[in-house]
Amino acid sequence: MRIHQGISFRTAYLLTGSAVDAEEAVQDAFVKAYRALGRFRRGAALRPWLLRIVANEAHNRRRSAARRERLALRATQDRPGDAVPSPEAALLAGEERERLLAAVERLPDEQRDTVTCRYFLELSEEETATVLRVRRGTVKSRLARGLDRLRAELGEEDE
Amino acid sequence: MTTLEQRLAALGQELELPEAPDLAPAVLARLESRRRPFPWRRAAALALALLALAAVAAFAVPDSRSAILRWFHLGGVSVERVETLPPAVERAQAGGLGRKVTRRQAADLVGFRIALPPVEGSPPVYVLDDALATVVLRAYGHAVLLSQFSSSNQDALKKLAVGKTTIEPVTVNGNPGLWLEGGPHTLTYLARDRSFRERTVRIHGNVLLWLRNGITMRLEGPLTRSQALSLARRV
Repeated sequence: MRIHQGISFRTAYLLTGSAVDAEEAVQDAFVKAYRALGRFRRGAALRPWLLRIVANEAHNRRRSAARRERLALRATQDRPGDAVPSPEAALLAGEERERLLAAVERLPDEQRDTVTCRYFLELSEEETATVLRVRRGTVKSRLARGLDRLRAELGEEDE
Repeated sequence: MTTLEQRLAALGQELELPEAPDLAPAVLARLESRRRPFPWRRAAALALALLALAAVAAFAVPDSRSAILRWFHLGGVSVERVETLPPAVERAQAGGLGRKVTRRQAADLVGFRIALPPVEGSPPVYVLDDALATVVLRAYGHAVLLSQFSSSNQDALKKLAVGKTTIEPVTVNGNPGLWLEGGPHTLTYLARDRSFRERTVRIHGNVLLWLRNGITMRLEGPLTRSQALSLARRV
């Protein structure tokens, strides 16, 4: 359980937008997962199966955009060996990340969830499909639409 | 990956997320409180994946007060530490083992080959509810029971409620196992007769549990740890 609770909590937090709701969602999900273990297909990967239950619980508690806790970025830490950016460059990079994050938060729920699973949680397309209970093709199309929308919001050209 | 995708992945690394709380004690407490109506039979083989690593970690820290210490899974068996043993029927070692059949008939009933250490002749096999196969063996001057059932068999799940018994992880021919020694413990066997009854019997011998080719093996009797392991390795 402890092996999976970190990723489960991150998933629930990013999907619900609330630490309190995320904690409840993960607790309920783990209890349900234990009780549903008989339906788990032997040989299948445990993580996406578990995250799928977590995501379902999280969706039941999803907060409206206005009530979501705003995602924040960690204070930038200089890594050893990195060239120290000028204060102007650091400020610019920070602002750019904030803009990108704000644009992700404004995505429609389905696209934001898909972008969150794929890039923030670093799940594969296959895992994302399992977790969000959609087909892999749907993951691809939601990602494509989400990325297009982000580019449009940020005023960037197609790559 | 496009530049935007790379930037999103990098952004994910930089998110300030709340620290994940330790939810295991709360989850285990909730499972405990709902344990009665819970369909035990289905859980064991897969719970192994969820909890086995945590259980191994817990074994490594015997003084840990972590709730996980109270609960272990191995194949089709769940082992739980409890302060008070539940009311149980005292069982003679060979009592309640099921009907007596040949080794071949037993294999047909339970759906897997009955593994035995080298023995003389062909000892009878007792089969309970077409799920649990048990052989009485003579070893080191004692009668010992060797039981086996499919780890994925939904009909056969045992739960050992352990009082002051010590639990120790072992390996048998490279497969994971548990050695239970010390005080009396109870064995709860869920038989499928449409209503999933629990039968609880009290056992005084030592027990070695291990996995072998998807089968949960269980050796019970007055053997020492090394005797039990030596016998198990020959199965």
